[in-house]
Amino acid sequence: MMTEIDSILDPIQRLPCRKWLAQVMLILSMLGLTLTGCAGWQPPPAGFDDSVLRVRAVTAEVRGVKLNAAVLSSGDSQRMFGANINAAGVQPVWIEVENTTGQMLWLLRSGTDPDLFSPLEVAWSFHTSFANETNAQLDDHFHSLSFQNPIAPGTKQSGVIFTNPHQQSRLLNIDILGQGQLFPFTLFLTVPDDQTDNHAIALDNVYQLIEAATDDYQNTDTFRARLEQLPCCASSADGNAAGDPLNVILVGNFADIVTALVRRGFRNSELEFDNAQRLYGRPPDLVGRKSAMGGMPANWVRVWVAPFRNQGETVFVAQAGRRLGWRLKEVENEDLMLNPNVDEVRNLLIQDMLYSNGLSKIAFVSGVGPTSPGELRGSLGGASYHTDGQRAVLFLVTRPLSLSDVQILDWHPALKLREADAVKELENDGN
Amino acid sequence: MAGKFNTILASISITLTLAGCASSGPVSETEKLDYKSRAITRSDGAVLVSASVLSADESHDVYGVALAKKGIQPVWIEVENGDDIAYWLMSPGLDPNFFPASEVAEAFASTHEDETIEVLDQHFAALAFRNPIPPGTRVSGFILTNLDQGLKMVQVDLVASGKHKSFSIFSTIPGFRSDYRARRIFIRELYTEDEIIEYTDESAFRAALEALPCCVTNKDGTRNGDPLNLVVIGGLDDAFPALVRRGWRPTEQTWSGSVLKMINSAMAGERYPYAPISPLYLYDRPQDFALQKARDNIHQRNHLRLWLSPIRYHGKDVWVGQISRDIGSRFTIHSPYLTTHKIDPDVDEARTALQEDMVYSQSLVKLGLVKGVGAAAKDAPRRNLTTDPYYTDGFRGVLMFDVHPTAITDVQFLPWEGREGGFIEHSTQQQ
Repeated sequence: MMTEIDSILDPIQRLPCRKWLAQVMLILSMLGLTLTGCAGWQPPPAGFDDSVLRVRAVTAEVRGVKLNAAVLSSGDSQRMFGANINAAGVQPVWIEVENTTGQMLWLLRSGTDPDLFSPLEVAWSFHTSFANETNAQLDDHFHSLSFQNPIAPGTKQSGVIFTNPHQQSRLLNIDILGQGQLFPFTLFLTVPDDQTDNHAIALDNVYQLIEAATDDYQNTDTFRARLEQLPCCASSADGNAAGDPLNVILVGNFADIVTALVRRGFRNSELEFDNAQRLYGRPPDLVGRKSAMGGMPANWVRVWVAPFRNQGETVFVAQAGRRLGWRLKEVENEDLMLNPNVDEVRNLLIQDMLYSNGLSKIAFVSGVGPTSPGELRGSLGGASYHTDGQRAVLFLVTRPLSLSDVQILDWHPALKLREADAVKELENDGN
Repeated sequence: MAGKFNTILASISITLTLAGCASSGPVSETEKLDYKSRAITRSDGAVLVSASVLSADESHDVYGVALAKKGIQPVWIEVENGDDIAYWLMSPGLDPNFFPASEVAEAFASTHEDETIEVLDQHFAALAFRNPIPPGTRVSGFILTNLDQGLKMVQVDLVASGKHKSFSIFSTIPGFRSDYRARRIFIRELYTEDEIIEYTDESAFRAALEALPCCVTNKDGTRNGDPLNLVVIGGLDDAFPALVRRGWRPTEQTWSGSVLKMINSAMAGERYPYAPISPLYLYDRPQDFALQKARDNIHQRNHLRLWLSPIRYHGKDVWVGQISRDIGSRFTIHSPYLTTHKIDPDVDEARTALQEDMVYSQSLVKLGLVKGVGAAAKDAPRRNLTTDPYYTDGFRGVLMFDVHPTAITDVQFLPWEGREGGFIEHSTQQQ
């Protein structure tokens, strides 16, 4: 049908980088063939030994719910599924949940990846023509290895979920829902075929830095004052040039902060370009990127663990920014440059976090310093930006919150001033 | 072939971009009035929200560039704040993948000369909706969203400290593509007062849902198709905002004029000339509404179709629906175009995925399962109208929405089917 063909073509038109491949895939899929399909699927030997996964698995426990998780390598998927799922643009993640609570639990797959693949969807891409029996066998095999809800009290449930790929390392968010209770997990998993040691080291480094943060502010005013005194910006490696503004502060438990970002589509992704920015004499401790259509990098949040805490909670000093240019345009690392409108990115990050179910409070502090109207302030790599000089302070919590639970703190007159400006502008416009 | 196709596409878009920049000019009052005059207004207490979606021509006139060619659609929003606090309008609520004004300016900057980008940037920033909306003022501007054809669900979330207001507006978009087979819809009220059945007793309501037909049918009702595996309780104020927030969008020309009239009485009498292209039937009519959630990959997407039933539950509309996951395309002799979407035979998977996703929507209050579809085993699957096999546990997913924001842990399970509060042993039901 026209609309169906059209709707098939539509995403292709929006993916310039994959257009050629997409068209070939479309033609092949219409012919009932796929590249992998031609070879024909063979069931793998029975009894996949999951000890390989267990060795690599990361473990965590939240109030009587134990979680084990590992990303499958291409070799693992070949052995487990009889097909290299990874090569089909899917990242299989093995999960084991042990429920020692007294209640029935449900894993909310949307919290891990809102665009998850279904088991039979992945299986279909390995179907071959005129092989109904093999295809049915393949479907059964994929289904039987997929993670199945619910997780009954006193039981252990394991299986694979089929996610969109993350490179290098995976921030895995797992939300497990009970009756009126949420058991959220945030794990950092290595991606076996795409592993550089740097990421594991970076993560260890983050934990060490969190541990090392000594000053613990109990008083809001002194905490605010400390945030205001932070440098305006990062700097270059030699400390001689100013970098991008430090326009966001994230306060909370490390896992809560990461969960909120992952729920809104941020992925851990550090590019060489990020490392030019230095604070506390080091490059960012972690970088999250929100990918746009077709996996293009759009927004980033670069974070540094602050050497101080707020009421026992971790404080991250961060840069919210976006690269210059249209999100669908493919760029090389060296073409990346900061978009001058950093306040827009900062404000939209706040809005995004409002939908994360984890934001409890918003405040603003000064410290970045405003640029004069019409003036741009220089940053690294020839970039420049303009700003109102405010940094947003976002408090994140574990307890799920709705839009109407978020408190806007009256720390800085920024919001009142913005309101007054808005009124003035409206009056000038004659509204 | 693909290469040539891409070259042609690229040259078209370059030409359009250049033409777009050249034709930038002042907007006449008449054009301005056009989209404003068809704006639909909704109110909640002392806050009034109006919205209108611009056609390709209108957006070209207002922005001076061919936004539609890049898949961008401006939505004009005006908020009149009669409250005593300032509100902020949330762009990700309108479209989780919306475009910031500065990004779009860059997309249209035909050269990288700073001046060009700056001029466009200022122009687009001036048109953008600017937060906040101070008390006692009226603020208007545009939010740039992904392009929809024909009809758009505009979801406006306004947030103040500890407060949230939600508005949902259906807006028609004039001037859409004419290459679809047009069929005029006779606009009529769907149900008379006498036909509406109001339930307040839960068990009677449950029985009514169980008694609904198992499946959609073909036009003359002689053959059964996909299972009616969804019940949505709510409407314009709660259910549709939830769907929009999680990225569901109306499909092209797949809604009926009758519902359009019902939900936007302001538009009564407007001719609505497009009919569903792949209609499935219930209540002797094609779906009232069809939505899709597309992934950024090649052709996988979830589809759902909804019909307004004559049932009301505590005054709320009850929609009966069908959801399935498209996992590819295949050859068929049951469609004049010889291709159709292949659906995931495990239809319950798509239903469950929707339920899990809606938990994050902030508007879901209850979820559960109800009988009525009738089980179909994997080894004896039923077939839809295009002969795709499917198997099911025989339940419909029930989703009850409310306008008041609900956090994840406050979502309740209807203790209707399954063990311990609505949980179903998914895997065992399918064997």
